[in-house]
Amino acid sequence: MPTTTAAARATSLSKIYGSGDTRVAALDGVDVEIEAGRYTAIMGPSGSGKSTLMHCLAGLDSISEGQVWIGDTEVSTLSDKALTMLRRDSVGFVFQAFNLIPTLTALENITLPLDIAGRKPDQAWLDTVIDTVGLRDRLTHRPSELSGGQQQRVACARALASRPTIVFADEPTGNLDSRSGAEVLGFLRRSVDEFGQTIVMVTHDPGAASYADRVLFLADGKIVDEMLDPTADRVLERMKAFEQARG
Amino acid sequence: MLRAALRSLLQHKLRLSLTLLAVVVGVAFVAGTYIFTDSLKRSFDALFDAPQPDVSISVDTGVTAGGGGGGGGGGAPGGLDQAPTLAESLVSQVAGVDGVAAAYGLVSADGALVIGSDGKVIGENGPPARGTTFLDDPAISALTIASGRAPSGSGEVALLESTALTGGFAVGDTVKIDTASGGLVDLELVGIVTRGISGSDGSTLAVFDLPTAQKLLIGTTGRVTSIAVRADEGVTQDELATRIDKVLPEGARTQTGTQRSADIAERLATAFQFINTFLLAFAFIALFVAVFLIFNTFSMLVAQRTRELALLRAVGASRGQVRRSVLAEAAVLGLLAAGLGVVGGIVVSQGLRLLLKGFGADLPSGPLVIEMRTVVVSLVVGLVVTLVSAYLPARRAGVVPPVAAMRDEIALPVRSLRVRTAVGAVLLIVATITAWLGLRDTSDGQRAASLVGISALCALVAIIALAPMIGRGMLVVLALPFSRTTIGRLARENGRRNPRRTAATASALAIGLALMSAIGVIAASTKASVTAVIGDTIGADFVVFGVKFQPFSPDVYEAVKDTPGTRTVTYVRQVPIEVAGDRTALTGVDLEKFPDVVDLTMQSGSAVPSLGLGQAILDDKTAADLGLKVGDTVDATFVNGKSQLALRGIYTAAGPYQGWITGLPTLASIGARELDSGVYVRVADGGDVEAVRTAVESEIAAFPSVALQDQASLKEQIDSQFDRVFGFIYALLALAVIVAFIGIVNTLALSVHERRREVGLLRAVGTSRPQIRRMVVLEAVMISVFGAALGVALGVMYGSLLQKVLEPQGITQLAIPVGQIGWFLALAVVGGFVAALWPAVTASRLDVLRAIATD
Repeated sequence: MPTTTAAARATSLSKIYGSGDTRVAALDGVDVEIEAGRYTAIMGPSGSGKSTLMHCLAGLDSISEGQVWIGDTEVSTLSDKALTMLRRDSVGFVFQAFNLIPTLTALENITLPLDIAGRKPDQAWLDTVIDTVGLRDRLTHRPSELSGGQQQRVACARALASRPTIVFADEPTGNLDSRSGAEVLGFLRRSVDEFGQTIVMVTHDPGAASYADRVLFLADGKIVDEMLDPTADRVLERMKAFEQARG
Repeated sequence: MLRAALRSLLQHKLRLSLTLLAVVVGVAFVAGTYIFTDSLKRSFDALFDAPQPDVSISVDTGVTAGGGGGGGGGGAPGGLDQAPTLAESLVSQVAGVDGVAAAYGLVSADGALVIGSDGKVIGENGPPARGTTFLDDPAISALTIASGRAPSGSGEVALLESTALTGGFAVGDTVKIDTASGGLVDLELVGIVTRGISGSDGSTLAVFDLPTAQKLLIGTTGRVTSIAVRADEGVTQDELATRIDKVLPEGARTQTGTQRSADIAERLATAFQFINTFLLAFAFIALFVAVFLIFNTFSMLVAQRTRELALLRAVGASRGQVRRSVLAEAAVLGLLAAGLGVVGGIVVSQGLRLLLKGFGADLPSGPLVIEMRTVVVSLVVGLVVTLVSAYLPARRAGVVPPVAAMRDEIALPVRSLRVRTAVGAVLLIVATITAWLGLRDTSDGQRAASLVGISALCALVAIIALAPMIGRGMLVVLALPFSRTTIGRLARENGRRNPRRTAATASALAIGLALMSAIGVIAASTKASVTAVIGDTIGADFVVFGVKFQPFSPDVYEAVKDTPGTRTVTYVRQVPIEVAGDRTALTGVDLEKFPDVVDLTMQSGSAVPSLGLGQAILDDKTAADLGLKVGDTVDATFVNGKSQLALRGIYTAAGPYQGWITGLPTLASIGARELDSGVYVRVADGGDVEAVRTAVESEIAAFPSVALQDQASLKEQIDSQFDRVFGFIYALLALAVIVAFIGIVNTLALSVHERRREVGLLRAVGTSRPQIRRMVVLEAVMISVFGAALGVALGVMYGSLLQKVLEPQGITQLAIPVGQIGWFLALAVVGGFVAALWPAVTASRLDVLRAIATD
């Protein structure tokens, strides 16, 4: 039975590509619990399966074995339609790039999930989010008129606008310079601290991971370690240790 | 570089397949046209293989040609083929000429209406019904007996195979034939004949022996319409013709078989040239539309491959090489499409045949002829069209800077529409000026029509140039009903974000629909004008006309004239007349009664009742053409000789009422046959119209070759004739519209591919599949309605301008077929919807992960 403290949960989650000789397990029996109201980072070298884990947790990708829950909903059994509803109502996304619809203004992009659902945004909440990301004076701009950092902040605002159960961020700072990256990470941190938002972030940058409450280390499709209250240095050291162990 | 081009073709094969299809359709139309006309020509060649007289003798005095199929109602020219004749005694005289092996007198004339077993005249309003003599000399007879035997004696007839087939007759049956001079006769069918070619233009042929043909067709004995001669061995046709000429009376002339073949060949060549050009015009419209599609495809492919092209440039490919690689791609595509188009041409040629059959012409069938020329022209056309369309995108590909390879986001330079808009504006001004000049031009209709035509062309190009500008605004308006929803707004913005692409897609549709609606306006206006004339002019309640507008026996008038409850019953007769090279009809009318049933507007001179012997009135148009005025006397040539006519009055041409009109005594004085071309019935004032109708109908029931018409049925008949012609043109234009819709499918499919990450993102944040489908469909419908609206607006405007210009030609009423135009717009909505289905489904099924993955 799902516990109420977990915003998302996976048990014996496997994701297998191909079969026979070409069989590759991107995820190999992962058990993970994402605690509500906390900032979780998933780290690992390329090919470790960290993005796959996130996609499976978010209901974007199908799974081969195991179970996945978001809140009290078992994701792995949902139809496409139900998954769509779930993403619309309970999940927020921030991708590495191409987060915004170029034909919509910043504000329209922020309210997009709500508009699609035909729901009225909670104006007070919306104002809070917009002010937090500091985009009040950019709302009528199109994405092409915004800097990369501004675009990612709009994406973050969109992810939060519908007050989702959980926000998934896939390398949200991967394409940003360090200052803009810090802004975005800081904003995500604040949304956890001030609004109690649950965030899962995939990253390969120890600096980014240091913003999280908890870091999960993934290697070869398995969770190999976990660190609470990380700092960039500690994360970096741990990563180096993996490299040597694998080397 | 060629390998890069080929590989890229293979990679994009799905995306290019629609472009390919558009070129295939256009080229297939071109190839099909050639195959169709070549095959038709070949099957007519059989005509020349058939035996024919070495020398034929005919009379060339008088008006030899008839008016052909009925041109409308009233006393219209039609069934005018009253053949001039020769004395039969000439046959033996010719037979006596040295070198003549045999000479036969023949009678051949229109006016043998074969009544089918269903009691109706075969091929009712189609081409003429001919009667002829059987020439019993296989060496020179074009007709051969397929079954049974040749007719002999007054009770026997043979029928052309197609005629017998349509009528449902077999040898031994009794056939009813309504003949020009012998009235309705019952004959025994003794033989079925065939002539060189199969198929039929709908005309029928009844074959008699000579005395019977004389009696039934020309109503005289001792006369023939032509003499066929077989030459002795060793005598050349030319030599023989020269000898025969010496014994011929004035007016008769000889024609050798070779000359005759050459004449026919020339006439056929002209006809085929016309058909060919006519059909090719539509093929090129379709190809022109395809240009937009190809242009769009290559533009989009180049845009999508910016990084790839930049990489080529970065590793050392020159601008020219990049440009050439895109052009090579286009060339391979064009050649491939053209090749498929040639094959498709076979299908199209059969389609054209079926289409023509559907519109009433059953053409002779024969082997398919695919000339080398057809293949070459098709390949060249396909190649050139594709290369020309791809040239601009190729040039743009060449200027992609190598540094673009390093950029992450593919930022397309947004080019200003300023130049394009300026060009459009200038053209619009030119269009306005030429239209204004055209409307003001009073010199002659030809020049005014040309000016309006030039204006239309300028306006079309202007609209194409301005379409991106117009589109941006128009899509906002079109999207109003949906713009409250995010999906509606997304669809609108997708349509607006690349105005050139949307404009090119919409313009393609606009071209087809502009032509269709312009024709729609002209068709409706023509119909309205003709019916208005009929309403204004015909005072009679009923008119009895011959089927196929063939003249009919005076017995009809005799049967109807005393119908109770009538105020006026009168008849008119027509003969062909030639004045100063202008062939038209001379209509003889009852001077007192005619004005009571047909109300002509006199412009000058005296009206019908005052016409004396040898005096006539003429319509204003013909009078203007011939430069005649009241008081002039002209030399007129008739079937039976020449005479003079004094012009006493000029009336306003009113639809079918055109040409010379005189009193019946004048007609009698020039020896016209005693056949009527119309009987007019006017019901007594306050009389019971329906009772008269019933009475007249029962009286004429005995004459199957005439039919009673009232104004409503006349209008209907005229409408259906116009609908046929315009229906054919619509059917040909439909191909261009189909290509335009393929263009919409293509643009959307490419756009969806281009925006797949966006779609993925939308899906990731919770957009459902139906919502994605709705977004794509809405965009398609908006583009399609935008194109249709542009086209319809342009078409209606120029249709109306053309009507104004054609007013002197008798199209006096402007009628805008609102219902039909409504249908066009509905078609655009449905077409846009259908066109969007495949791209919409593709978009909604996009794998979310794959779409958003950063490659």
